[in-house]
Amino acid sequence: MKKILAILLALTMVVSLGAVAFADDVSELPREETLYFAGQQWGTVNTWNPIGTNQNNAMACTNQTFGSRTLMFETLYMYDFMTGNILPLLAGGDYTWSDDMTQLSFSLNPAAKWSDGTPVTAADVVRTWDISVEVGNSVGIGYGAYIDSVEADGDLGVVINAALNEAGQPINPLKVLDFLVGGFIAQAAWIDTVVERNGGDAIGILNDAADDVVWSGPYTKYFSDDQKVVLIRDDNYWGQDASLWGKLPVPKYIAHTIYADNPAGEIALKAGEVDVCQQFIGNIQNLWLEDDLPISTYYEEAPYGVCLTMPTAWYNMNLPVLAENTALRKAIALAVDYDTIIANAMTNQSPSFGEVPRSLMNPTAGEQALFDHDAVADLQWAGNDIDGANALLDEAGLVDTDGDGWREYNGEKISLNACCPNGWTDWQASMEVVAAAGDKIGVEITTLYPEWDIYQTVFTNPNQTEYAIYMWSPDSAAPSDPWGRVNQFMGKDFVGAENNWSGNWGQYVNEEADALIKQIPLTTDEAALIDLYTQLTEIYLTEVPSFSLMYRPSVFHAVNESVWTNFPAGDDGRGIPPADCTDGYGIAALYELELVG
Amino acid sequence: MKHTLRQVFHSSKFLVGFIIFLLILLTIWIYPFFNPGNPLEMIGVGTFARPGSYVSLYDALNTSTETLRLADADDKRLDKLLSDTDRISMLDWFDSAGVDVGDLDIEDTDTLLDLWFANYSSDLKPAGMTNAKRNYYKRLNNSLMQVRAADTLTITDVDEATGDPVTKGTVTKTDYVNIGQVANVKRLPLGTDNFGRDVLKELVSATGTSIIIGLIAGVVATLIGLTLGLLAGYVGGLADDIIMFITNIFTVIPSFVLLILISYSIGQEQRGASVVAIVIGFTSWTWTARSVRSQVISLRNRDHVNLSKLSGHSLVRIIATDILPYIASYVVMAFILQVSSGILSEAQLSLLGLGPKTTVTPTLGLMMNWAMLYSAHTNGSWWAYFPVILTITLISFSLNLMNTGLDQVFNPTLRD
Repeated sequence: MKKILAILLALTMVVSLGAVAFADDVSELPREETLYFAGQQWGTVNTWNPIGTNQNNAMACTNQTFGSRTLMFETLYMYDFMTGNILPLLAGGDYTWSDDMTQLSFSLNPAAKWSDGTPVTAADVVRTWDISVEVGNSVGIGYGAYIDSVEADGDLGVVINAALNEAGQPINPLKVLDFLVGGFIAQAAWIDTVVERNGGDAIGILNDAADDVVWSGPYTKYFSDDQKVVLIRDDNYWGQDASLWGKLPVPKYIAHTIYADNPAGEIALKAGEVDVCQQFIGNIQNLWLEDDLPISTYYEEAPYGVCLTMPTAWYNMNLPVLAENTALRKAIALAVDYDTIIANAMTNQSPSFGEVPRSLMNPTAGEQALFDHDAVADLQWAGNDIDGANALLDEAGLVDTDGDGWREYNGEKISLNACCPNGWTDWQASMEVVAAAGDKIGVEITTLYPEWDIYQTVFTNPNQTEYAIYMWSPDSAAPSDPWGRVNQFMGKDFVGAENNWSGNWGQYVNEEADALIKQIPLTTDEAALIDLYTQLTEIYLTEVPSFSLMYRPSVFHAVNESVWTNFPAGDDGRGIPPADCTDGYGIAALYELELVG
Repeated sequence: MKHTLRQVFHSSKFLVGFIIFLLILLTIWIYPFFNPGNPLEMIGVGTFARPGSYVSLYDALNTSTETLRLADADDKRLDKLLSDTDRISMLDWFDSAGVDVGDLDIEDTDTLLDLWFANYSSDLKPAGMTNAKRNYYKRLNNSLMQVRAADTLTITDVDEATGDPVTKGTVTKTDYVNIGQVANVKRLPLGTDNFGRDVLKELVSATGTSIIIGLIAGVVATLIGLTLGLLAGYVGGLADDIIMFITNIFTVIPSFVLLILISYSIGQEQRGASVVAIVIGFTSWTWTARSVRSQVISLRNRDHVNLSKLSGHSLVRIIATDILPYIASYVVMAFILQVSSGILSEAQLSLLGLGPKTTVTPTLGLMMNWAMLYSAHTNGSWWAYFPVILTITLISFSLNLMNTGLDQVFNPTLRD
């Protein structure tokens, strides 16, 4: 008996030693062949399913309109948010619209191959679209209203038929472009396998683990557990064909350690254990100015990155005091000290509203050119205008009648809360500044920081009256922006929608604005477009259904050049966007990395 | 009473603790007279300004100057702009850009700078040089240009009518202003926090709040503990069983877990400083109750108590006159410890984000919470949290010292 026990014990030890040795194997990837990331993947990967949902797989399955992450699965085109260009990836050249913009056609790159060696064909694109609509994944739901069907034209030719309205016009050609850069394409044969093994059950297909998945991108899965995710380069990647990159990406491994929280990732970046960090790091300039670390950002001066979105405070129009008092909405927005928000919450990693006056546009040159700056100059405000805010409130009759220091409306003290999720420190700091502004104009504003799971159910509920002022970010950049963002600010379609993650979180209704918004997608004339956007900006700045608090990058891009260098930089003239070396056209950076020394 | 007090103040431990505590209270009382205003006012635009004196540059320019010729002024200026590591880095740059420097002496600033300006260009990208390093050289180049800047700086204004620059004055390297004469000098002995608030001002105010929280928590806990302990101990029987049953239940549930759960369920909107204090009090009375009970049990059969009973005195009177005075010293000591632990509990709760709601009153725990959320501990902003920790330590130290001192006076076995 004792012998058996001893043998068992010895066996256990050997096995556990082996396990440790295996773990060591992965944790000690050759440093000079591995590019380490932070700030993308939180928690263990669920699935590797490009047509699924809830994959929690940041490195392989991230669909986003400003550029999907094409390390393992690829989109038809790549978006460059710096220029607005749409560049071919799986597609072999530019797309063309039919004259009435009802059909978009392009041809696939004949060199494009799946990992099993078979070519990427139009049938794959068609099958991917059909299954997406059938099972209702994010692509199917997101674009189903705008794309009627996708057809094959021969082996490589693809025709996308836009969905039409009653007048026979396409509903929104811009959204069709979003699909080109946002949706991953999966192999038709593999999709058939998945459908078959799940018996056609949509939920089964969406949650399929996809361990046997066929990919077309330059990397594939190598290792994944609750500690890290590692992708390995596919040396047979078709993109080394001269028609695309002409070479393979430089790092052999893409590794993402799963950190507990932002500070952990930040410490790893400082220690040189992370090469590319997609996290907000306050006062990032201190890392090189004071700590002398080889860390740099896209721009060497503030705001250090490219700001694409504007975290915004939304007014709850379900509350009569806010819905009925435009003056109150504007007064609060006037009184807020945005410079403090930008200096505190963003540590100046955002242009100020003095530098980029507020509108519906993000600070990129392309969007800023889309409205008449002079026409709205009188309506814009840079904040901290206490006198102006007080005057506005006095004029509107919102005065303190009972002498308690707070203004009343219909005999009741105006008391609002300002909310954002607990632990989102930069947003919390912003809400503190908004509350401080209320104090100065006699409007009681208290901050409230619910936990995320509570916050997300409340602010997406169209009938909620619990939060008065609350934060959320509109879209950042996409082929359909700034239209998409403007629609989120004032579009009527979102009003009343249950579980609303899509837009207009304040439930603001303005028929005039909505009519203008609906015209934009079909307007191609530049001057007419500028006129529409200018009118909308005027309405937005007059009615103030919400107000932006700062500008902010979609992805942060801080790199530690201890091991790798030649990351994209604002002054290098290469025109690679700071998209973490992975998103949209930003992936071009991976092909040009160099080792230090 | 007088005798007892004299005895208490003869204890050196008690005295030291008492003086520290008194000094803290005095500071809380006096400091706002010197630095009045809202402690939560965000004076700094930006995060974590270093401790020190801040002189308004605008006002300094408009202050009359004295000329001081200081022998080491130039050296100090140069050291600030060009350190020894910078000099070595310049050599590295020459090396990587392929500039032949011969036997250059890097201490020879003039030659070094001549060579630098003759060769450096920010457009040049030597092979293998990282972006971080290139940015460093750009900053260094800007510094070096200042070394070479003229001795006189010109201040210009813009003429409103014509838009032309108008020279308003000049500043030379030997101009000095007396800080006392500058209209605006702000002393921030502990710098600013993540919101740009004056940390010292906030700290003083927060200490006051935290002591009040401690006191409220202490009073609540002691009152509950005392009442239940007295009843259980004196009445005995079924009352004792029931009270001890409840007390034991509360003892086995870790009070901090209870505290977290209650704070969480109250919700942030209702969590003012006093609510948090009361919640803390409600979860920390058990040990007081148990100790009081055991002391009362030992007292309840004493002769004087029995005498009172025989005389037909009421329960309340017996407890108040025959029992309470005998355990008063213990209750006071327990109260002091409750205050101390109340302050610590608030700090712990706030660190978890479950403390009093923010923006209304500063507390020590909230200050630490915000410092931690803004990674003050990793970015070297010690002034945002270390003084807070020190204050908490000092308060509990002084309170515990007082407690130990009292113990030595009242506990016969510890008496010298």
